[in-house]
Parts: sequence; structure tokens; C-alpha cells
Amino acid sequence: MTMQVIDQPMTEALFSLYGTSVRYVTTSPFLAAPVNELLRHFRRDSLDESTPLALCFHGVQTRADIPWTLSLSARRLASGTGAAVGDRRETNLPYQVFEDGGRLIADFCDVGILVINSAQGRADGYLIQPWTMHESLIEYFFHLALIELMRRRGLYTIHATALEKNGRGILIPGNSGRGKTTSFISLLRSGYRYLSDDHPLLRDAGTHVDLLPFPIKINVTEDTVAFFPELREAPDHLLHPGFPKRAFYAEKLYPASIGDCCRPALVLFPHVIDAPHSRLEPLSKPRALELLLPQALLVYDADVARREFQVLAKLLQQVDCYRLHFGRDILDLPRLITPLLGEVT
Amino acid sequence: MSDTHHVLSLQSTVTDLVDPGMLQQIVFHQNRDVQGTNMDGETVLLDLSTGRYYTLNRVGSVIWEHCTGHHTISDIRAVLCDRFDVAPERALDDLVSLVNQLVQEGLLQQERR
Repeated sequence: MTMQVIDQPMTEALFSLYGTSVRYVTTSPFLAAPVNELLRHFRRDSLDESTPLALCFHGVQTRADIPWTLSLSARRLASGTGAAVGDRRETNLPYQVFEDGGRLIADFCDVGILVINSAQGRADGYLIQPWTMHESLIEYFFHLALIELMRRRGLYTIHATALEKNGRGILIPGNSGRGKTTSFISLLRSGYRYLSDDHPLLRDAGTHVDLLPFPIKINVTEDTVAFFPELREAPDHLLHPGFPKRAFYAEKLYPASIGDCCRPALVLFPHVIDAPHSRLEPLSKPRALELLLPQALLVYDADVARREFQVLAKLLQQVDCYRLHFGRDILDLPRLITPLLGEVT
Repeated sequence: MSDTHHVLSLQSTVTDLVDPGMLQQIVFHQNRDVQGTNMDGETVLLDLSTGRYYTLNRVGSVIWEHCTGHHTISDIRAVLCDRFDVAPERALDDLVSLVNQLVQEGLLQQERR
């Protein structure tokens, strides 16, 4: 079979994420820049590890050019329109996930497929006409493959925003429209340090779970921008135009730097209420775990899922959990939250 | 994901899988594909073969803890009566109802000894 790919020299990028080395190779320049952007804080010139995770992405002209077909013994694990794998607009794609000969195949129909061999620490992505794709879609595919490989190395992600203040971490999990990003920006602008907009990492540290930064561009809707004067007034070179979301780098708009690895202390589950004031409702740990599981756990590999489940349970044992009934006093949120960290506002 | 979460209560009516006449002979094993964690007295279970997860209340959690292959239904009923303020008949009804659900969901396996 001949692949109709744009014949470009192979480019390589090296990254290190908390001791896990990643080697990314692509033959398409369209597939290089978005990944370098996504992992810009983790770029390295060389790697210490002899067996890094290997991700190789290819651009192809048509679906027929993808040199991969499912075997007859492939087993379908999941399918849908993307609701189970995030809430970004890119995830409104129809998809099917298969297990095939020890590989995980994520099939995004006319957009491309990911072939993930977790045991070997390798993922191949075949994206159809990547030159027509928005960069955020390419980031999304790469990130999906990366997190599946990293789970095997004990680095787990969760669909949440995350911040740090004086070594204590806050996680705000939840789907779009529940006030996750708005509450996150309200805390960020008050001096909390940035960990991640959507994909912080968790690592089992034995006696506790660590919360690790995964700083990426922060995506905001126009509705969210309207709440914050500094975003409303930000020029386009700081708050990049886009639809339906605009994007900015935390470090360019707010004085606080990127946060450090820390111990999570608080998990907030927000939802927006039509009331003048926000309030907190303590949440039991079993209820919190029920709410957290859909934001974290995709059971594709039983052994990995077993470990990840235990990490999530351990995380919740070390934090306080609240339901945040998020009212119209958006800019005052730090006054409600900071005392929970044992600090005076 | 809402269809993946189930709260198992003690009041549901299900087809009886456990023969009430075999209370001294039947023991239960937790399915090896089920991962559980106890938090504040409640238990959250994840079925690794289906991705479905379940929550057991305090009584259900005690029942689950004793499904180790060593305790008959009669044994577990005695534990419930000891730990909770419940009449033996009610304890048995609730116990049989829950283990039936757990067996039906594939979380428990029963065995005659």
C-alpha cells in the first residue's frame, strides 16, 4: 500500500514530563507546531531515559491511505460523540475505541485514527489532511495518545482546572458550562498560581497523591471574558482571537507564575446558580468520588484502571470536597475559597 | 456517563437468585474484576470489565466486606444484627435483596459449600 503523504523530512521533538521521557516524531510540519506548543514547558534537548514513550504522527491524504485495518478479532470498547473524552469542541467528533491485539485503536472516522500500544509505550497517529485542521484538534489527538501512554507510567490526568497557593492545590473538575473556568480565573487573578486549565496530572507518591502542573493555553468563551475587566480589555496579541473560545497564556496576563508540584488540599465541584452570592456545601468523599470518576477514568486497561481508581480514592482521602454553588459574585470567589486553605484573605 | 453509576439500595425487588432455604450453605466471593474502596463507611465499587461503578451504603458496605468466601448468609445476618439496630427478619430480607442485586450485576459470585 502506498501512503499519500506529503513527503517532508522527519522532525523530532523531545520532552520530559516528571521523569517520563517522550520522543515525538512527525513527517508533517502541520503536526509538529501544535505539539511543540502543547508541551512547550516540557521541551528538552536530550533525554536521559533510554526507552522514552514514542509518539509518531503522520499526515495522510485520505482515509484509504492509513496503513492500518482492524483485525477480525478487534473488540469494540466504546463509541460515541465525544462526551466521554472531554468537553472541548474538538471532542464532538464521532469515535469508536477498539482493543485489537493488545493495541488500543481510537477511530475518529474521517478525521483520523490513533493506534496506541501501551505495553510498548508507542502511539501512532494518522490524521487525514492535517493541513486543514485547527491546531487545537491536533493538540487534542496528541494529548489523547500521550495520556493513555502516561497512565502506564503512573501519571494520570483528570478533566479539571487546577491551581496552587503556598504549596496547596485546588482541583475544580467538571464539564463545560458549570463555572469551572470562570471560578478558576477568579482565583488565578487573585494570586493563585497556575497548574492547568484542563489536564493537570496526578501521581501516586506513596503516602499521598501529588498534583503536577500541565500548563497549557487557557481557553475562554466570550461569556467568561465579559466577567473579568483585564480580559475584556486585553489586546489580541494577549487574548488570541478564536471561535467559540479565545485563548491566552496565564503567565502573560497575570503576575503569578506557573505553580509547582503540590499536595492537593481542596476539590470543588462547581455549578452556576442564579443568586447574588456563592456558597459552599461540604461533600462526602463517596459523593465526591462519584462525581470525580466520570472526569477521570476511562476503563480500557483493567490493571491500569485499577491503579488509577486507587489513586483517585487516595486523592479524595487527603482533600476536603465541596460543591460550589457559584453565584454572581464571581470576582469575590477568593474570599470564599482562600480561608479553606487556612489562610486569611 | 450517568448510565455507568448505580446506587445499590436494599429495597429493590429483583428476581431471587439466592435460595432462601440455603442460608447456611451459600457463601459469596467478590468478583476479581471489581475494585472497591471504602470511604466514610460507604463503598464505591468499579467493575473493571464494564466500567460501571456502584455505591453501597453503610449496611451494604458491611455486607460487601463479608463476601470473602468465608461467611454464609446466616453469618452475615448475625453481623448485621450485631452492628445495626435491626430485627433479624428485616436484616435477612435486606441482605438477600442486596446480594441478589450484586450477583445479578456480576459483582458477586455465589458458591455452595
